[in-house]
Amino acid sequence: MANFILRKAESKDVSDILRLIKELAKFEEMEEQVILTEKDLLEDGFGDHPFYHCLVAEVPKEHQSSEGYTVIAFAMYYFTYDPWIGKLLYLEDFYVMQDFRGFGIGSQILKVLSETAVKTRCSSMHFIVAENNKCSIEFYKRRGAADLSYEEGWRLFAIDKEDLLKMTTK
Amino acid sequence: MEYKLRKAEPRDVSDILRLVKELAKYEEMEDQVMLTEKELLEDGFGDTPFYHCILAEIQGENGTDDLKVVGFAMYYFTYDPWSGKQLYLEDFYVMDKYRGMGIGSAILKQLSDLAMKTRCTGMMFVVAENNESSINFYKQRGAEDLSEEEGWRLYKFHKEDLLKLAAPAEE
Repeated sequence: MANFILRKAESKDVSDILRLIKELAKFEEMEEQVILTEKDLLEDGFGDHPFYHCLVAEVPKEHQSSEGYTVIAFAMYYFTYDPWIGKLLYLEDFYVMQDFRGFGIGSQILKVLSETAVKTRCSSMHFIVAENNKCSIEFYKRRGAADLSYEEGWRLFAIDKEDLLKMTTK
Repeated sequence: MEYKLRKAEPRDVSDILRLVKELAKYEEMEDQVMLTEKELLEDGFGDTPFYHCILAEIQGENGTDDLKVVGFAMYYFTYDPWSGKQLYLEDFYVMDKYRGMGIGSAILKQLSDLAMKTRCTGMMFVVAENNESSINFYKQRGAEDLSEEEGWRLYKFHKEDLLKLAAPAEE
């Protein structure tokens, strides 16, 4: 079974996108943190100003998953800006359902993303990986990825909504 | 000393580049700034802006109408697949001489207002692990170190790797 297609996500795909986001979050043991809804995904990805883009991998009906899904992988990305080198492609989520791994779907997605990055004149692709996710780290390192947290000491910080609100009232 | 915050305009690209280079110098990475004013102009003020800037301006020392840009924040919107839109703070710098006046706090407040207005669920940014004063500035305001708490590490593919990956020849 190596029969799959990659395509840009459409508005009809939001329920599959949300399902795959939740599956990936579950794999990262963070499933209850997904508060996004299909409605948010629709407005934010398919409105006048998309805040994200998705590539999805689809298999023919005869190869559907055990629960009957044909969309079995996705990558969510958007464009960011590095003040030293300009436009970057930022890979936010990247996931292939377990039963569909080993067929080159992940590699193919990464290839299409790389083409997109080069076509849109991005200088680089950035993404974060959990430090304990050894197989993903190896997947990326084999393809040349550098660990900037290691090499340059960058640490990712976040200020959540409550603290942002506190700052707005000060 | 009075200062005022405003959205950057196309005429500001040379000040933006100057401050980007000053911040890079502070991080000991000045020679890594390859960006030009032309790119900043196309990328920030074209049909699709890839970044936005807030600038802090003060009255020049000569007391004339001469205004000087002394601080900036560069940001854009990102997307967290768990909670939606985020404001991503990319660069944030106030010139040494003008610190301690509340400019940094005012910029962060304005960014927070903007994040709320645009219905973002959070603000994210990276900080160098040895930049203690910045880390304290952010932690005082509630920032969490996700690298510490959740083990996230930032990775990148350089352009050469992208070209290799995009090339038709397969493994």
